[in-house]
Amino acid sequence: MKKILIVDDEESIRFLYKEELEEEGYVVECAKNGEEAIEKLSVFKPDLISLDIKMPVMDGIEALKRIREKERQLPIILCSAYGEYKQDLTTWASDAYVVKCADLTAFKFTIRRLLGLS
Amino acid sequence: MPNPLHPYDLLKSIVQLSNASLPIPVKLDQMLQSILEAFQPDRCLLLEPEKIIRNGFFYRLVLEKKPLWVEEESSFRKENAFPEEQDLLCPAFACIPLGDGTCFRGILYLGFSKPYRFSPQEMDVLLLVGEVMERAIRNDDLHRKAEETISELTALYEMGKAATSALNLAGLFELIVSTGLRILKAKGGVLRIEDRRAEELKVKFSAGDYPQNPLDEKMARRVFDTRTPLSFDHSGQEKSSFSAVCAPLLSKGRALGTLAFYDMDSNSTKFDDKDLQRLLMMANQLSFAIENALIQDETSEMVQRHEKRVKELSTLWELNRALLTTVNFERILHLTLTAITIGEGLKFNRAMLFLVNEKDRILEGTMAVGPDNAEEAGKAWASLSRRNGTLSDLITQLDPESHSNLNSVVKGIKIPLEQEQCILSRTVLEGRPFNTQLPQSKEGWLQTRCERGCHLGSEVGCYVGEHLGRDPRIYSFATVPLMGKGKVIGVVLVDNLYNQNPITEEDIRFLSMFASQAGLAIENASLYRNLEEVHQELKEAQTFLVHLEKMVALGEMSTTIAHEIKNPLTSIGGFARRLDRTLPEESQEKKYSQTIIKEVSRLEKVLKDLLSYTRDESSIFKELDLRDVLEESLSMVIEGIRSGRVQLIKEYGEEIPLMEGDSHQLKQTFFNLINNACQAMKERGTLFLRVHPFSKNGSLYVRVEVEDTGKGIDPENLHNIFNPFYSTKESSLGLGLPIVHKIIASHRGRIEVDNHPGTGVKFIITFPSSEKGKGNRIDSP
Repeated sequence: MKKILIVDDEESIRFLYKEELEEEGYVVECAKNGEEAIEKLSVFKPDLISLDIKMPVMDGIEALKRIREKERQLPIILCSAYGEYKQDLTTWASDAYVVKCADLTAFKFTIRRLLGLS
Repeated sequence: MPNPLHPYDLLKSIVQLSNASLPIPVKLDQMLQSILEAFQPDRCLLLEPEKIIRNGFFYRLVLEKKPLWVEEESSFRKENAFPEEQDLLCPAFACIPLGDGTCFRGILYLGFSKPYRFSPQEMDVLLLVGEVMERAIRNDDLHRKAEETISELTALYEMGKAATSALNLAGLFELIVSTGLRILKAKGGVLRIEDRRAEELKVKFSAGDYPQNPLDEKMARRVFDTRTPLSFDHSGQEKSSFSAVCAPLLSKGRALGTLAFYDMDSNSTKFDDKDLQRLLMMANQLSFAIENALIQDETSEMVQRHEKRVKELSTLWELNRALLTTVNFERILHLTLTAITIGEGLKFNRAMLFLVNEKDRILEGTMAVGPDNAEEAGKAWASLSRRNGTLSDLITQLDPESHSNLNSVVKGIKIPLEQEQCILSRTVLEGRPFNTQLPQSKEGWLQTRCERGCHLGSEVGCYVGEHLGRDPRIYSFATVPLMGKGKVIGVVLVDNLYNQNPITEEDIRFLSMFASQAGLAIENASLYRNLEEVHQELKEAQTFLVHLEKMVALGEMSTTIAHEIKNPLTSIGGFARRLDRTLPEESQEKKYSQTIIKEVSRLEKVLKDLLSYTRDESSIFKELDLRDVLEESLSMVIEGIRSGRVQLIKEYGEEIPLMEGDSHQLKQTFFNLINNACQAMKERGTLFLRVHPFSKNGSLYVRVEVEDTGKGIDPENLHNIFNPFYSTKESSLGLGLPIVHKIIASHRGRIEVDNHPGTGVKFIITFPSSEKGKGNRIDSP
């Protein structure tokens, strides 16, 4: 069973993603911001992280940097409402970039691809 | 024989005769008659001094100044006399020399054929008679001389009086020469005055005969240079011999000229010192008058010149005033040509203007003013002469007659500057005026050469010949360069076709003066016109910038709002989908959830459009072929085309130059345009897609046309179509065309709308090509 850490400051988003991904058969843990995500990393040991960008306390870009220092191989998806971050060089450190959308087909497809399941 | 006259009666008769007012020859004759009566000699005569032979018998008598009484032949030796004198000498005679100590006036001679004894009383009487006769002759001489002098003085006085009153040069000269002729009794006279500019003596007046030869001129020159009078005798061949007196005309030590008189009559006596003196007196007396008259003449000439100059300057000022009334280029040109042709201005019949096109190195006919035929010319001049007001008012009131035949002919003329045989190009290249009318100028015949190749000859020249039945070769005209700031900017051509007035150098000089003013005005107007164009461009750019700024502000605001909405929308849509999966098909709830999913999708689409319009996404430019981009855009467009409702007609040029662009953005641009076109043709229709290259000002461009046969755009909305949030479609946010506009602008392209309400609309998009020319073209796959 693959473990996924969802990092997002919006509760409704965390709730939606958790429900949807658990239904797909993943073990899902959530964090409210980058700091909490780093704390949960060593305990939960996820197989993939979905990171929102704009968050209080520590944003996704900072969190991505910190996580990459420890876990070089861990797949990380940046999942944001902002399309323009795609052009930002710092996002290149992630494995994928998904623009938030009510239709989660593309999101789920990216997760499966990164986990080597499809 | 009557009784001899008593000595007393003789003396009485002689004294009476002496006092009688008779001419001297009659007087002397009657005196001799009385002596004859008193003494009854065989011979009684008065030997005049001219008749006395030098060194003869009588000559010696004169030298001795004593009377001689010979009473019989034996007391006188005839051998002492010359043979011609011997005939005169009688056996007895008396010789009484007439004259005082200084002057000799003749010898009274009485001869007797028989010995005669002179009584002392007779001797006294004869001596007394001699004295009276001598006095009579002397008086007459004096009287004659006095009369002569008076007449001379009168003439000189008259001449002097006339000279001081007459300031007319020609009249004065005539007076001087004719008086001189009278006083000196000369046959011819010449007055010469120095032309100071040419430094030569010029004959100002001549009368009678005078030798017109270099010798005479040389003499005058010498007299003038040395300021010394000269008396000259030339005794060459019978006909060419002459004598002359020549005096310098001196005033304040400076020579003004010479006055010379000639006596061509070979029989007459030569001029003597006395004549020379008279001439000198005349010359001295008249020099001052001549100088005054010369100064007066020069002054009046100068005044005339100045008056003319002042008139010219005031005309120029008026014309310039007219030029200052506007900065409009066309108007300035028209004013310039009107000023040249108007009667109060430069008075030419027609004027044509050619401007230099530096880029193409040609002279372009720009404008012409002038009547098309003589009849029209007459009407125009008559109507102008009835107008009132100042020159500048008059010129500015005249309307351009752009419809004139001449104007359209001139506008079609283009002459390469390098066409050196053409006078117009030469005027520009050499920067000087030409006047083809001057008979001595070489250019006079150039007209015929123009006929063979020069546009001027074939257009203007032949035009004239054709329309007026005149030989173009005699068509004469003048050209002057139009000077801008330090360079020739054009040429003005003028002629007097209708009144055939000659074009003088003075006209050309005045025209050149005006042309240099007009040239500056034209150059300024041209610069102003360019300035206006640039100003218009700047205004457009400013409007665009303001628009952009508005968009940036709008973008920042809408981005914030959009993101705030996007997260909740994601969860609403996400949970709606979750709900939807749990609901049974055909249930009422399923319809509700489907509606939520659909509407959220729509909202998400709106947000995506909004963000893509406002977001400052860096573009990735690379070379591309617009045909490929169009094909990709077409593949995104959906149903309309696929269902066959819309017929697609593609017209792609074979060689389309590459351009630099962001394929993603361009794809979106054409997708929007094609999508709009399909939506506009709800029932059926035809979509035209065209791609063609073209070049302008040496640069390559690609032109794309997207044309539909829909209902077109309502003219009321046309000016708003590129404004964001302006939509006539219910389901649209109104960002489609603004995005198109923004992307095209970022590609340095242009979009134009050719709208036909009711029948369709055509969008024309042009992009600059990245290719320099056809030679560098990279063929697209």
